[in-house]
Amino acid sequence: MTRFLIINHIHNAQQSLESSRVRSALTMLGVTIGVASVTAILALGGGAGRVINDQINMLGGNIAVIRPGATVNPISNITQPQNTQGYATSSLSKSDLEKLKKIKHIDSVSPLMTLGGTIKADSPAPANTKILATTPELAGISNLKMREGQFLGSDINENSAVVGQQLSVNIFGTESSIGSKMSIHGQPFVVVGVLKPLNKPINYNSVDYDNAVIINYSMGEKLNKNNSQIQQIDIKADSINNLNQVVKDINKVLLKNHDGEKDFSILVGDQISQPTSQLFYSIAGVTAAIAAISLFVGGIGIMNIMLVTVAERTREIGIRKALGASNTDIMYQFLIESLAISILGGIVGYVVGYAIAFIISEFLVFSPAINWQVAVTAMGISIVMGTVFGLYPAIRAARSDPIESLNRHN
Amino acid sequence: MAITTKKTPVIKLRDLKKRFGIGDAETYALDGVDLTIKNGEFVAIMGPSGCGKTTLLNIIGLLDRSYFGQYELDEKPVDSISRRKQAFLRSKQIGYIFQNFNLVPRLNIIENVALPLTYSGVPRIKSLIIASDILKIFHLNEREYYMPHQLSGGQIQRVAIARALVNKPTIILADEPTGNLDSRSSHIIMEELAQLHKDGNTIIMVTHNANLTTYATRVITMLDGKIDTDSHDLAKPEKTKLKRPKVKKTKKKLAVKLKRKKR
Repeated sequence: MTRFLIINHIHNAQQSLESSRVRSALTMLGVTIGVASVTAILALGGGAGRVINDQINMLGGNIAVIRPGATVNPISNITQPQNTQGYATSSLSKSDLEKLKKIKHIDSVSPLMTLGGTIKADSPAPANTKILATTPELAGISNLKMREGQFLGSDINENSAVVGQQLSVNIFGTESSIGSKMSIHGQPFVVVGVLKPLNKPINYNSVDYDNAVIINYSMGEKLNKNNSQIQQIDIKADSINNLNQVVKDINKVLLKNHDGEKDFSILVGDQISQPTSQLFYSIAGVTAAIAAISLFVGGIGIMNIMLVTVAERTREIGIRKALGASNTDIMYQFLIESLAISILGGIVGYVVGYAIAFIISEFLVFSPAINWQVAVTAMGISIVMGTVFGLYPAIRAARSDPIESLNRHN
Repeated sequence: MAITTKKTPVIKLRDLKKRFGIGDAETYALDGVDLTIKNGEFVAIMGPSGCGKTTLLNIIGLLDRSYFGQYELDEKPVDSISRRKQAFLRSKQIGYIFQNFNLVPRLNIIENVALPLTYSGVPRIKSLIIASDILKIFHLNEREYYMPHQLSGGQIQRVAIARALVNKPTIILADEPTGNLDSRSSHIIMEELAQLHKDGNTIIMVTHNANLTTYATRVITMLDGKIDTDSHDLAKPEKTKLKRPKVKKTKKKLAVKLKRKKR
């Protein structure tokens, strides 16, 4: 007894939705808002991730990054900002740095230490200016190019500083600021080099190099009252083939140095490319919450409307059963109707989500990612919503007694 | 709609009981009904309101499953047939005609007629073609794409009959098919049913109108959930009383008389 009723059910759903357009459109709106939010988050997140991914790939793919704190699960990674500048003490220390340097197959190691404090120069520096204390190896690992002058080096004065091009313009009024003086934390510094503009405010080091001052690591420690507060250690392996071995060795060495406590995480490849911008995470978190609430409310809306539809069509259910519809046929009829609402809402939401993402990206340095994962996620959410929230009304319709239904006057 | 006219029992009911309510409010809508309906019979069921006519029809039509007693459809106990199979039988073997027509208001005429085909697995386009063909028989082919509310009562009931017959069922159940119609429309509908009976279908019709029983081959009256009289049973004792040789003699005498008259 093979029955192919899907086409009939789809036709039915179409007729039903058309007969109450406003009601159907309002029900879809809940799903649309939810799916649009999810699509926008994923598209922008994917765009930001792609930017960093490209950077890693451009650098040869043999980069590993060590961050303080144990690895968190992917969901909280998305919804919680990473603690890069908080009050918590970093678990990475100078002794770790020394031990890492001895590991085989490591080409270069560079600690990153961001400091707070004011920069005084001809003009005051913008509030979000980062002071980064690091070692000369960073230029090699992160492929930093000089516009003029030189990067940090062991051969130059400790009080030397390298500035980003935009910062140079902001505080000295010129792109050629070599020899200019400034003070950081009250200590005098001399500009020895200006970086080439990168225009990559989002990167795996969480430093916008165009708006940053880079000073020597030892000087950074001094400014920080001889405390090393390492936010991140960048490692470059001598070859991509040795990266896995290097990661294993780092793990071993650090565990030993930390008395067996896994209070650090080693990231490679895609793990590094997870966007690190605090602002991005905050926005994504809020949007994710809105999306979740909207999807839930949208789902309740679908269930509500489907229950009304079932009540309105009780007599029709009775007639259909009398004419040979089985309980399963009736269940599928209403389930497909709720799926039609959620899928249509999802498609509109997907388009609206991308429209929002493109509008937002006008104010950002990257464009939204267009990939199948976003489409599949949007469609998946729609289907799951239609099924979950449409199932109860559909079962209720299927279980209704045919004789009682036929006697219902509506 | 041509079917075999072999007189085999299609419906067999034994001590059928249907109870409504519990405790003090307990009443029996059917209280021990024994009934056998053979292939090709046109049965009219009569009786006062609340005597259990419609309940009986609903049970025969496999719509009501909560009863006591035995029900055999085509010599198969209905209890042993799965729900899904029962639904399939409703679409293939049973055609239901309701008093209040019961067309789906948001579907047009042709889609209403095609509904039983849909549930018996006929593809959509094919089912619409078959529905269109049967509407032609009922002279409704020009109204195929009308909505039910655009037709008159008589036309709607003809649509309902067309829908009941579209799957070529062997059993047609009609619950007061002319209850909501004027006498002219009633006559047309009854002629249609009579024609279906001539074609060999089994028809079970519930009615309040005694005039309509003239179309039936068997009349059953019900009272308080029981079968009060059955014209089938009334005929039997007469047959047993009359001895066959006597009948034969009478027949011969009559034949001789007829021959003489012709001369």
